[in-house]
Amino acid sequence: MNDKDNPGTEATGGIDTDLHCAPASLADLEPYFDRYWRSYIEDANLGLSPSAGGAYPPGAPTTGRAVNGPDALRHRVDDLRYAVLTCVTPFDVSRNPYFEAALASAVNDWVRTEWLEGRSRLRGSIAVSTMDPAAAVAEIERLGDDERFVQVLLPVRGNDVRYGHVRYQPVLAAAAERDLTVCLHAWGRVGTAPSPSGFTHSYLEDYLANAQIAQSQLVSLIAEGVFERCPELRVCLAECGFSWLPPLLWRFDKEWKGVWREVPWVRQRPSEYVYRHIRATTVPAHLPTDERELREALTAIRPADWLMYASDFPHRHGEGGTRLLSALDEAERRAVLSGNALRFYRGLTATGPR
Amino acid sequence: MIFDADIHPTILSSDLLSRLPSPWRRRFELFSTRAVAPPMVYPRVRNGGTRLDSWPPDGLPGSDLDLLREQLLDEYDIGFGVLIPMQGHTFGAEEPEYAAALCRALNDAIAELFLDKEPRLRSCVCVPHEAPRQAVAEIERLAADERYVQILLPTGTSSPPGDSKYLPIYEAAAAAGLPVAFHLGGVEGHRGDGWPSFYLEQHAWYGNSTAMVATNLICAGLFERVPGLQVVLVEGGISWAAPLMWSLDEAWTLLREDVPALRRAPSACFREHFWFTTQPIEEPADPAQLVAALEHTGMTDRIVFSSDYPHWDFDSPSIALRDLPKDWRTAIMSHNGHRLYGGESR
Repeated sequence: MNDKDNPGTEATGGIDTDLHCAPASLADLEPYFDRYWRSYIEDANLGLSPSAGGAYPPGAPTTGRAVNGPDALRHRVDDLRYAVLTCVTPFDVSRNPYFEAALASAVNDWVRTEWLEGRSRLRGSIAVSTMDPAAAVAEIERLGDDERFVQVLLPVRGNDVRYGHVRYQPVLAAAAERDLTVCLHAWGRVGTAPSPSGFTHSYLEDYLANAQIAQSQLVSLIAEGVFERCPELRVCLAECGFSWLPPLLWRFDKEWKGVWREVPWVRQRPSEYVYRHIRATTVPAHLPTDERELREALTAIRPADWLMYASDFPHRHGEGGTRLLSALDEAERRAVLSGNALRFYRGLTATGPR
Repeated sequence: MIFDADIHPTILSSDLLSRLPSPWRRRFELFSTRAVAPPMVYPRVRNGGTRLDSWPPDGLPGSDLDLLREQLLDEYDIGFGVLIPMQGHTFGAEEPEYAAALCRALNDAIAELFLDKEPRLRSCVCVPHEAPRQAVAEIERLAADERYVQILLPTGTSSPPGDSKYLPIYEAAAAAGLPVAFHLGGVEGHRGDGWPSFYLEQHAWYGNSTAMVATNLICAGLFERVPGLQVVLVEGGISWAAPLMWSLDEAWTLLREDVPALRRAPSACFREHFWFTTQPIEEPADPAQLVAALEHTGMTDRIVFSSDYPHWDFDSPSIALRDLPKDWRTAIMSHNGHRLYGGESR
């Protein structure tokens, strides 16, 4: 079993790039909403969805149990060099773009005040609106100068266009200008169909669909020339798996050779952009159980060029993460546990927080 | 003898019209069909998506049997070629009775214009897939004709393909001893991933949407319900199958109570019920990685060569797959197709 209660055994000195925190209820966020939204929440008797809109059903073995407040998390963080907090509470299913933006701001202020304040190992993610790119840019401008925020957080799915689309370019540019990474994290508007053909009848299928959709985002960012326009931009795919990368690139590189005239701004093989600009987190780690196959799979996956360690606490994805870490050689292990994150996130130092 | 599992014929409107009874003929003349075919959503950037040399003097690429013989069957000595009439993808999504009439006319036109004249060719039963009752009738009408070697469905159905709505189609296919082939297309939809902007993105997504079809059929417990069913994944790539099976098995270990209809490891189910066609197979810079990726699927005996003639990304039987081990290549070019489709060429 992945030793979730004692991460020190697997990641001492590492950087955790996906550690979840979440308010227990909207009451926790009340101080961070203005009067209009407080009355909106009260009038609607609004509460946080117990299953995060279906993304994390409380009974599902993958969900785990969240902790209440940063002190309960201290033993997980003390052995680490840094931990990047991802709060996915703003991955709202409501269709009110103004509420979505207000919720993101409230969560960001809650993270800043209740988690980052006085805790030098913790870093935050700026959650932003998906339906109102101008509000997303404004939120990045509002918080981007606070060095403790290291990335902009967006749900990997749930929009009618992909993140490379012209609609989202100002958001990506605003992140890149401030040296912020963009994190596309699993889920988003759960309950809408993940597949081309509709709503799925099982959570299992929905859960795995994040991996397919992350691939579409990767393809979109490259095909739209985002990294040509924002050469400094870095994108992290969190909790979406990673072992799917080689076959995708073998197809993407090949097809680019065939139809590059459609996208002449894509100047290099797609795989070159991936290894320069995109990283994935280590869990869920879907890998073969056979030792020889595992070695062959990792040769193609190139963990040292592609992966950043994440505990994904409190979520549990099985034994793959442990299998991955124990299969890495020393150099790969260093890159995955901390080296890649040090290069990928602003303001982190190899010696850890002062 | 070479098997080619993906050849695209085109039936000209005039040849369809003459086979459509009233009132469908008049309706087709006046209103044509409503479903938008994927190439209109993502215009292919060169040559209309087909080989430049595949245009006959009269007609469209894939409409002229003589040219198809000359450029494909004779040129490469293909002894068994499976036609995949993509028009069925959009025809099948129309109003049930209209869709049934269009599919019937399409299947008959294929028989008269291709199969009757060319013993090396086989075809699919195109069905009104959103109207399973009518689809079953079409399967039963043609099942006895051995020249139809599979039932054709698009990956773009209006509900997930494992939905119980479609169960009668799978049962009828299994009862007829025919596999179901999923080919990319149908009514384009991007509900979770968001709409791509470019053909390049859409085409890369075909691997993902094929993976999602397989995932959906397995999670729906379809193969527990129809144990005899075989499914051919056409033009969706192959190398993703091993990572998909690793993810399915890992997730199933944790979440099996969510899918009680699925009673054994998803990878076991996958390996017993799915087949692949080769074009457009993934091409890593190091061919050894493709060999490893295919080996990890445990399904190299379930891969059948396909050329995708006359599309722009046609794979030549004499050039493709040269980097694979010789015994695999021999099986993929010939034996595997023989096992899947049976059939000596007449």
